[in-house]
Amino acid sequence: MIRPRALALLAGLACASALPVSGHDGEPLPALDFEPPRPGTYTLHRIMAAPDGEVLGVDGRPQRLSRFTRERITLLGFIYTTCVDPEGCPLAYRVFDTVREVIVANPALRDKVRLVTLSFDPARDSPSAMRAYAGSRVSGDAGGLPWYFLTTRSARALMPLVEGFGQDVRRTVDRSSGRPRRELSHVLKVFLIDRAGFIREIYTSTFLHPQTLLNDIETLVMEDARAGSAGPR
Amino acid sequence: MAGHPFRNRVLVAACAALACVFFAGASYADETCNSPYMSKLIKGQEDYVYVWTLGVEGVGDGSDKLVTVDVHPKSKSYGKVINSVSIGSRNEAHHMGFTDDRRFLWAGGLSDSKIYVFDIATDPAKPTLARTIADLGERTGYLGPHTYYALPGRMLVQALSNTKDKSGVTGMAVYNNKGEYITSYAMPTEGGGDGYGYDLAVNPKKNVLLTSSFTGYTNYMRPLGELVQDAEAMKRFGATMAAWDLKAMKPTKIFSVPGAPLEIRWSLAPADNWAVTAAALTSKIWLIKQDAAGAWQAKDVATIGDPAKIPLPVDISITRDGKGLWVNTFMDGTTRYFDLSNPEAPKQTYAKVTGKQVNMISQSWDGKRVYITSSLLANWDKGGADNEQFLRGFTWNGVDLTPAFEIDFTKEKLGRAHHMKLGSKALRAAK
Repeated sequence: MIRPRALALLAGLACASALPVSGHDGEPLPALDFEPPRPGTYTLHRIMAAPDGEVLGVDGRPQRLSRFTRERITLLGFIYTTCVDPEGCPLAYRVFDTVREVIVANPALRDKVRLVTLSFDPARDSPSAMRAYAGSRVSGDAGGLPWYFLTTRSARALMPLVEGFGQDVRRTVDRSSGRPRRELSHVLKVFLIDRAGFIREIYTSTFLHPQTLLNDIETLVMEDARAGSAGPR
Repeated sequence: MAGHPFRNRVLVAACAALACVFFAGASYADETCNSPYMSKLIKGQEDYVYVWTLGVEGVGDGSDKLVTVDVHPKSKSYGKVINSVSIGSRNEAHHMGFTDDRRFLWAGGLSDSKIYVFDIATDPAKPTLARTIADLGERTGYLGPHTYYALPGRMLVQALSNTKDKSGVTGMAVYNNKGEYITSYAMPTEGGGDGYGYDLAVNPKKNVLLTSSFTGYTNYMRPLGELVQDAEAMKRFGATMAAWDLKAMKPTKIFSVPGAPLEIRWSLAPADNWAVTAAALTSKIWLIKQDAAGAWQAKDVATIGDPAKIPLPVDISITRDGKGLWVNTFMDGTTRYFDLSNPEAPKQTYAKVTGKQVNMISQSWDGKRVYITSSLLANWDKGGADNEQFLRGFTWNGVDLTPAFEIDFTKEKLGRAHHMKLGSKALRAAK
């Protein structure tokens, strides 16, 4: 069961570099400078449980984050919509977009994975702002792969999630342009969460690459298959 | 602990005769040598130097402690101790490492398996002991946690020994940032591996982890004068490095690097694909670099001082552009600078005696400030008047090291000054 899926995934990867960039485009994603280990040949250990708390979808409806971090393999990244650091949120968006296109092309994976983009700037990133940020990628329009764009009601609601994930955020003021600009200083982190809600990998910009993410997703899919629990519940 | 001149003479003679002395140095002592996953590098003026200090019986409370020194030249307390956190016991305090968010500083001792986690974000001027991790030995069988290397959301801990026979066969453990154990990895004992550990360093863009090798508890806790006269014991030192597939955490190649390779420093220059280490016994700089075919190779590229005189390189610090390397040699108390413009052929361009015994060396991100401490291991430090215990600050103008301040750790009743990390007021956590 797994092998054909893996082959299909690799076939998708082979095309990844030719995929068009999204509206959040930038420089083409660099090629990996190493040959990554094959999916299933390594172990992704449980780092910690993903935290839970209240979030808001693009429709403004409050829901538990755990609804978006269980039952499927989840890639979750924190962003804020006004972020312009090319090594930050825009990179995460582009990587997610590439992962989305590869997975969408692989029906065997499409129903096992979801993407979650969560804002850590609730003051500016309202549900409607997140909808605008999502564009055509918002869940339901993402070609069959769920991609949820979430925010929170307030900093008070956000902080337990930020702390729980270990996503360090600091408020800074950029005065370089002569016009002070409030920014959220952070290190880009993307979290790979298994179907049981455990964080299994944490990526930073130093190794956030579609091929790495896809290999890890495939590794978790193979692990699920070995455990006899492959397939969506 | 006071020593005496005779002890010093015996030690030097024994070192020369056996040519088999190894010294524990440091890891990631400075701003240019932190984990690539760590955020918030201090690229301007640092405010503090945190000194992980070995307790000395009869000196102050006799316990290991984290000492905070104000190093901002415009501060009224510049060059003064402004805080000290005692852990209430003496465990051969050795090294430290920041978590990836630079909010916590993990530190440990070599005589047990405990790890002390200090909160340096709530008030960077006054760190506090946030928690103690006590399950390393029980979980892994490893003893003497040495290197603390930040991975995203977790800490990779390299131990030096094991709880069973206390030899140098050991491994690495992974904890999440909350201090919860995740897993462990034994150092390789096949394919030429000796199972020993010392330092580790990651190049994420190459998916490579490098590890080096030292010795176990039975050697590093033994009085040096006694150890160097035990020929069998002196054979039990590391002579290898290992390259690992970082993602898979599996060793891929063992390098023969005789003479106890200690600190590992990757060049931070984006296009570079190499790291260096210093072998204590042979007094050699080794280069680990990809060849034209992409395979990792290790070769010795320079000599540090006169190996026949056993200078004992114990710590190195690479400049942020990968063009220069500081080397401290313990026995002659000398700080050397090597031009690394061609890493295949480093050239010494500067040397200065900076103490009667020197161990750790740390530099600021801009390379303009250099900090040096004195202690190696409680039972290996020199005796008598040579047993200076200090933190010394210098400025570096590219030509000469100029003394800026000095703190006598014995006079201040602190202990033996060992590992250093830099701190900043700007890293105070938001409330």
